[in-house]
Amino acid sequence: MKFFSQSFLYDDPWSIVSLAFFLRYPNPYASHVISCDVISRIQTPSGSLLTTRLILKRGNMPKWFPQGIVSRAESWVVEESEVDPHGKVVHCRTRNLDHVKVMQVEESVSFCQTPEGKTLQHTEARIVSGFGWGLTKRIENHGLTRFKANVQRSREGVSLILSLLRQSRLQPM
Amino acid sequence: MSASVSPECTPLKHEYDSCFNAWFEGYLEPAVAASASSKEREAYSTKKAEEFQQKCGKIWESYRLCVQKAVKEKGLDKLLQQAREEHPLTEPPPNPTQPGQSS
Repeated sequence: MKFFSQSFLYDDPWSIVSLAFFLRYPNPYASHVISCDVISRIQTPSGSLLTTRLILKRGNMPKWFPQGIVSRAESWVVEESEVDPHGKVVHCRTRNLDHVKVMQVEESVSFCQTPEGKTLQHTEARIVSGFGWGLTKRIENHGLTRFKANVQRSREGVSLILSLLRQSRLQPM
Repeated sequence: MSASVSPECTPLKHEYDSCFNAWFEGYLEPAVAASASSKEREAYSTKKAEEFQQKCGKIWESYRLCVQKAVKEKGLDKLLQQAREEHPLTEPPPNPTQPGQSS
């Protein structure tokens, strides 16, 4: 098992960062996202919004990976989120639904408002392979390297949407 | 806006997304004082949920049914069910209010 954790501070307030996070697909940094659907969305009595999204992502297998085991380099991902607008917190958990024996990646992201009115993002990931054949460690290391690179790309995507949102809010109605 | 899993649902998804996003922008900045009691916050949330239902309820229902059908046809409902059994996810609380009574 590999574990990854990272924090990042946005200068923008929580509401706009959270909006950008939910609007992040499509963006040029996420061309691997083929489809994204809301499959369930409810508001709890206390006012939080619970959403489940089903996302199809395109991936590619490393060259050293044995051929013929993973028939298609696409992966279904389920994303479950909870938005609490009163407490100003977003929690979001994502994991892949297929190829789980090869590699399961479980990611948790949260966005909280800081006392200074900025937004703190915290990301955690667990990467587990049950593949065996002497490749488990190599797969997990590969998964971790890819995850680190993707965290960076994903943040660039959110930042791009953020700047678009800022621009549109500056324009007179 | 990104595509839906099924091309026939994509126009419905886009219409739903536009409606939801406009509502969501306001939802993220609740017009309730931070000092408000939980009762006041709940009343505000109920109002917000009703607003969603009124503006986007119909399109959400059409989009939801379309995706539900596509998910079943692709056998993804079984995959989702399996994943839930392996790692039980927190189920939404009973008797949720609107928007969208989901399955």
